[in-house]
Amino acid sequence: MLRFAALVLLLSTTGGLHAQTVAWWSQRPLQTVAVPATGSHWVRTPIDAFLLSRLRKNGLEPSPVAERRTLIRRLTFDLHGLPPTIAEIETFANDPRKDAYERLVDRLLDSPRYGERWARHWLDVVHYGETHGYDKDKLRANAWPYRDWVIRSFNEDKPYTRFVKEQLAGDVLYPGTADGIVALGFIAAGPWDFVGHVELRDGTVDKAITRSLDRDDMVHTTMSTFVSTTAACARCHDHKFDAISQRDYYRLQAVFAGVDRADRAYEEAGTDQHLTSTAGSLGYHSEIANSRDASKWVQVDLGEPRELDQILLYPAHEVFGGHPGPGFGFPVRFRIDASNDVEFGESTTIADHTDRDFLHPGDAPQRFAGKGERARFVRVTATRLFERTNDWIFALGELVVLAGDSNVAALAPVAALDSIEAGGAWGQRYLTDTAARRTGRMVYAAATAFRASGNFTPAAAPRPVHLLARGEVQQPLALVAAGALSCLPDLERHFALAPDAHEGQRRAALARWITDEANPLSWRSIVNRVWQYHFGNGLVDTPNDFGRMGGQPSHPELLDWLAVWFRDGDGSFKQLHRLLVTSAAYRQSSAPREPDDLAPSRDAGNVLLWRMSRRRLEAEAIRDAMLAASGKLDLTMGGPSVRWFGFVDDHSPHYSYDSFDPDGAGAWRRSIYRHIVRSVPDPFFEALDCADASILTPKRYTTLTPLQALAMRNNRFVLRQAEHFAARLRTEVSTVRQQVDRAFRLALARAPSRAEADIMATHAERHGLASLCRLIFNLNEFLFLD
Amino acid sequence: MLSRRQFLQQSGGGLGAVALAQMLDGDPKSTSVPKAKRVVQLFMSGAASQCDTFDYKPELIRRHGDKFDPGGKVELFQSSPGAVMKSPWQWRRHGACGKWISDLVPHLAQCADDIAFLHGMVSTSNVHGPATFLQSTGFARPGFPAMGAWTSYGLGSSNDNLPTFVVLPDARGFAPGGPRNWSAGFLPTQHQATMIRPDRPEPLADLFPPQQTAFITAASEADGRRALAQLNRLHQQSRADDQRLEARIASYELAARLQLSAPEALDISRETNEVRELYGVDQAPTSDFGRRCLVARRLLERGVRFVQIWSGADNGHPRRNWDSHEDLARDHSNMAAEMDRPAAALLTDLKRRGMLDDTVVLWTTEFGRMPCSQGGLGRDHNPFGFTNWLAGGGIRGGASYGATDEWSYRAVENPTTCNDVHATILHLLGIDHKQLTFRHNGIDRRLTDVAGRVLRDVLA
Repeated sequence: MLRFAALVLLLSTTGGLHAQTVAWWSQRPLQTVAVPATGSHWVRTPIDAFLLSRLRKNGLEPSPVAERRTLIRRLTFDLHGLPPTIAEIETFANDPRKDAYERLVDRLLDSPRYGERWARHWLDVVHYGETHGYDKDKLRANAWPYRDWVIRSFNEDKPYTRFVKEQLAGDVLYPGTADGIVALGFIAAGPWDFVGHVELRDGTVDKAITRSLDRDDMVHTTMSTFVSTTAACARCHDHKFDAISQRDYYRLQAVFAGVDRADRAYEEAGTDQHLTSTAGSLGYHSEIANSRDASKWVQVDLGEPRELDQILLYPAHEVFGGHPGPGFGFPVRFRIDASNDVEFGESTTIADHTDRDFLHPGDAPQRFAGKGERARFVRVTATRLFERTNDWIFALGELVVLAGDSNVAALAPVAALDSIEAGGAWGQRYLTDTAARRTGRMVYAAATAFRASGNFTPAAAPRPVHLLARGEVQQPLALVAAGALSCLPDLERHFALAPDAHEGQRRAALARWITDEANPLSWRSIVNRVWQYHFGNGLVDTPNDFGRMGGQPSHPELLDWLAVWFRDGDGSFKQLHRLLVTSAAYRQSSAPREPDDLAPSRDAGNVLLWRMSRRRLEAEAIRDAMLAASGKLDLTMGGPSVRWFGFVDDHSPHYSYDSFDPDGAGAWRRSIYRHIVRSVPDPFFEALDCADASILTPKRYTTLTPLQALAMRNNRFVLRQAEHFAARLRTEVSTVRQQVDRAFRLALARAPSRAEADIMATHAERHGLASLCRLIFNLNEFLFLD
Repeated sequence: MLSRRQFLQQSGGGLGAVALAQMLDGDPKSTSVPKAKRVVQLFMSGAASQCDTFDYKPELIRRHGDKFDPGGKVELFQSSPGAVMKSPWQWRRHGACGKWISDLVPHLAQCADDIAFLHGMVSTSNVHGPATFLQSTGFARPGFPAMGAWTSYGLGSSNDNLPTFVVLPDARGFAPGGPRNWSAGFLPTQHQATMIRPDRPEPLADLFPPQQTAFITAASEADGRRALAQLNRLHQQSRADDQRLEARIASYELAARLQLSAPEALDISRETNEVRELYGVDQAPTSDFGRRCLVARRLLERGVRFVQIWSGADNGHPRRNWDSHEDLARDHSNMAAEMDRPAAALLTDLKRRGMLDDTVVLWTTEFGRMPCSQGGLGRDHNPFGFTNWLAGGGIRGGASYGATDEWSYRAVENPTTCNDVHATILHLLGIDHKQLTFRHNGIDRRLTDVAGRVLRDVLA
């Protein structure tokens, strides 16, 4: 209230001025600012000059540069979300070249780990999730191509304008490209009310509410993400604090009036390595067995001996019946054999999962290396069957054999021990037909044409959008045309589209409005986000709100200088990272000052950046760092998300993290590839303040709670990784002292002090190395970056 | 590095926003005098019928079988209106207040004089997911903090050993929207509910390491905690100005205390036979809900502020919640048989221990059911009029507030929203619902959005 009162006072004293001169800071045109002259040797980049001149004005001096081991740990987590390896630390620590640091930065930015790290930040901002949320929280099996697009875009250093345009209207602006469609996953990233869309009938009030709120999410996400504006506050009334009218808001809703969220094809299928089995015929289905350990087999005949590079098993996806869901019939235990004998008298085993239960794959295709075998027949033998209610079966959606890039099993003849042949649904021949007939890979994205499901059908034309009195669908006022905000006088808010223009033109027009060089919000917004992830706080501390309820920039000139620099430098993220992390400001130590130093009292929050702020790692970085320390980190990139939970599809799907096998297939992959369930969040990630995929998270919290401490101490994954870490140490060095030393270097990027080594060695001798490794994972230093 | 306020807020325990404001700013004006210290929310998931429980309409019995024609267009969730359908259960008057209550809930009927019925409830959604979120969080979309999270944020913890906000889900699974109904939303994570599942071998996730972890022993646990603290102190020596490091060390001490106190709080084996019998913990069909109600009482006794107990799981077949589209008599019988006796036991037990005076009990459902059939034996959704009730601290027992029309179809007197109920609960806790705010993405968010009024007519 105090802030509001001050604002009123300010407005009333400047009331006689022209409106434009009192425009809110974020809406004023970008200023071309001169870099202050400081004459200081401390300054390495222009941003240092801005920061130093402010520090000096406040009688403060920056902190000394941090030592190299601190810097490489800081930088590697910041750019990769992973700890540096021992070799990387030693190389950097001993690199005599003047530009050793710059070289390190370049190396890190060139690695694909960079895209995996920064994609996670972006996915927080856009509230990306892989289930719908709400009631009947169904899986989005095809959301992941958007996640991979984000990773790829960062790694390829896609220019920011293109990055924005693809996400809003790639299908229109870059026709014929896969990226132009996959990127539309942005519009579909948020929650979606399955029951409201699929079960409610058209023409009902609740259906209209469902659609209006769905568009609201699209508007809210777009305007928060790209222009840091709380446009969604104007749904029920004109914005109370910012110059956003209700009409502005509904103009933005009209931009999205032609699209829904659904699976859409983005690429003609050549050999589709990532297809999921969802449509059409279901595949092979064995006869029903009375015992789980009955053996069943199905095999394909490739016609002649072929190179078996990879074998892919696509789980079946039952749509009807008593056991609907992905992975229906997938065997609990099985093996894959290859042979040139149709009877498999002599055969080679390609994959053997007969002595342990196989993690149920859901819809995810399972890939097996062919070990360079050549064979004519490939057989899958189930040795423990899939349980229905009191009986057991074996089913598979599709079997693909890749020789080079081609599926040599396409339409291959199929034989089986037994098979249920049920019309167009189940039949052994369907095991090899789907991939051959498939029309394209699918992505969950903004879509205008898709297969109807219940009452969820595509709009024939953009749905009419009315201004709604008090935001209520029962009180429609005038129809509104698509358009943008009217508070930026240099930009045209009317899109001036022909009445019969394709709906995509609306999205394209909004994308152009956002990426216009003269849009001051967009450029300030994005450089502020990148700054925040590097320094811990943005130059504006409310990254999604540059309005009157938001913060004001701590360094307005610097913010504008950066925005102009980024815009005029082709919007290169990598150049921006390079500029920020090579600054003297970024390289500062985070150590406390001397007791009589002025800085802590004058600027306790470190707004002026008189030192680097210490920060706690995010949930994903903590988990990935354990895997890096234990040596188990699986760097496989891309593809369907890994499910670190048990899943039972049903009328309402069930997700259970208890049944997750911490050593199961895919369990050691980077956390960015985790399948994100909205309704039932992963308790381990949640305890570590992971973003909630139901809300936009421009900045995560850092809480330090007892439940978090319990998760770090007792979670099964942590304990298993502690054991793996211990096993690694035992393999690599022999004495306890050496093991302690190595554990420290792997986990904390430094050698232990004498006192630390003593405590650790005593503990390891008394309770074993695994207990020590668990302890290390729980150290403050493991979770905090200096 | 951190202000005292940030430190207190980050470290999980301690004071909430309201208490903190009073302490730091000396400004107690934002609060009313609290009538209650604790809240229990009993959530009937799937939509419990008002016209088969507490909303008595003789007209419905008289016109049984007639065409349902309340005037205006009737828009149902999944069907077209069938004939008027009287309740399969008999109605009787109960208590000094003479409240008409159906035989579906005979035990709760005995508590009529403690209960204030809200018969004019309305919802803005006719769909389970959004409507459930509304009752839990005040908003129809996922991502908003639960009432318990707001309570934790506002008042903080009132104990050192247990969580502030606990949820006890139905053993069969989660209600529509699942844990999003008890999340902290945009509030810091420490305000989210701690999920406790008393039926499971591990009722609280990660409270202890899994039994089969070979390298963990009692001695290694104790030594490990000590060594961890020692090493963290060494690390902190050269970083003394960062209170987060101190807070994290403290969080391990709090965790150790939770390990001691939680098993004791959940152990109902030492409750007397009389108490176990009261809640029906030892027999079907009351064992699950009964056990959770009893655990709730034990948690409340030990300083937990807010407990949410769910009756009903997800929408599926056979029915395992109150969503009785197919066969109301069968499915409501099953659900009520599980819920009625334990819920009444909780009221009775709190009362005789003197705890009902400062504990609010809220019985919630996301919307009601239609007074007509939906063709067969079931009733469709009715967001236009339904019943919730309140009991306990600061509530006027025996009151009835708001009313539906003669059909039990549409609220015609004092329509009441979830915001009103939430405002009332906060008021009873001593919090002005308009003052309890949190800025998120540019908006000062409230539990009650831009609405809500305290229901003074039901206050004692």
